[in-house]
Amino acid sequence: MNERKEEEREVLDAAMLAGHILLENGAEIFRVEETMDRICRHYGIKSCSSFVLSNGIFTTAGNEREEIFAKVQHIPVSGTHLDRVAAVNQLSREIEAGSLTPHAVKERLDQIQRMPGKSKKMQILASGVGSACFCFLFGGNGKDAAAAFFSGVVLYGYIIFLAGPHLTKLVANIGGGALVTALCTLLYKLHLGEHLNFMIIGSIMPLIPGVAFTNAIRDIADGDYIAGSVRMMDALLVFFCIAMGVGLVFSLLHQFTGGGFL
Amino acid sequence: MTAVCEMAVAALGTVAFALLFGVPALYYPYCGLIGGTGWFVYSMLAQGFSEPASAMFATIAVILLSRIFAVRKQCPVTIFLISGIFPLVPGALVYWTAYYIVTDEIALAARTGFLALKVAVAIVLGIVFVFELPQGFFRFAAKKDKRALKEKGRKKR
Repeated sequence: MNERKEEEREVLDAAMLAGHILLENGAEIFRVEETMDRICRHYGIKSCSSFVLSNGIFTTAGNEREEIFAKVQHIPVSGTHLDRVAAVNQLSREIEAGSLTPHAVKERLDQIQRMPGKSKKMQILASGVGSACFCFLFGGNGKDAAAAFFSGVVLYGYIIFLAGPHLTKLVANIGGGALVTALCTLLYKLHLGEHLNFMIIGSIMPLIPGVAFTNAIRDIADGDYIAGSVRMMDALLVFFCIAMGVGLVFSLLHQFTGGGFL
Repeated sequence: MTAVCEMAVAALGTVAFALLFGVPALYYPYCGLIGGTGWFVYSMLAQGFSEPASAMFATIAVILLSRIFAVRKQCPVTIFLISGIFPLVPGALVYWTAYYIVTDEIALAARTGFLALKVAVAIVLGIVFVFELPQGFFRFAAKKDKRALKEKGRKKR
């Protein structure tokens, strides 16, 4: 009897951890709930029910035959690591198919949580490449794309080393928009790019909240209105902040140069 | 020719963002293909249709492909969807809105801002419609494996 209790506890802990990893790394609410449910049900816990918000999970279990379990976990919004989402998804398939013990599941989840992300150098490089590509797509030429590559690299350096660890989200995005605009204007003045607008559009792309926006829509479509609206709010706020940052630098330059440069 | 070239650039850009979001390297080619196709559909349609309409059809193409690959590769659709939809998110329009506000062209700013909103709504509609299709609809994409098929039947997406 005691062993069974122990096992139930382990299963619920594992389910909670799986939900935590999924939510933290950019999965939809629907997927978090379903995965937790599936893990519990596979190990024979029928009374488990969970309530998932965009930054917290509430789980309870317990009826006349099963032990009472309750846990609330706050999960701060952090970066997106879709590889972890994929790994948990794969694990959940393996649980359904095979004979993993709850303990093994817990261990696998711990491993997934410690999975190394892409190196900083790769991320910065990718940001540059992405910026250059989108600058080109929106109408820039080769020279503009090269300039956008440079400012995309600088922008992501700023995100990783300054904004991420030290700044709040709002200030980070206003600062990012401002940084890109200032840098692109400088490059433009040095004749390292020919179309200022396309350079800026390309290099702000790494700031655009694509994950929050897409997930918000999917959550709302699934009927998870609270989580969906929080994420939508997040996305809109970030959009707004980027525009503020860009506008701020533009109007400052406008003041100093009398509007000649635009 | 330009269209193919642009499609390749869009694919490269999508892969770059896929890397930023931590998509496993194994899936990069699919992300690139989806992003490139989305942009191709968008730029082809944009010649004849309004921007919101082309954004909606491009979104539909992106999500259909994402769901097909998700079934085929047995992984969460989010992986393909998020990076694939990136070229369509109206970042450029948001920029132009800020630009026109600063340069004191308020009418243009209002029009551009509203257009950005319309494009966003079009993307929303595209996403919502395609996710309404039942999972069984995508079963043709699965690898021919009986056990996997049975498992699929139970999973929603």
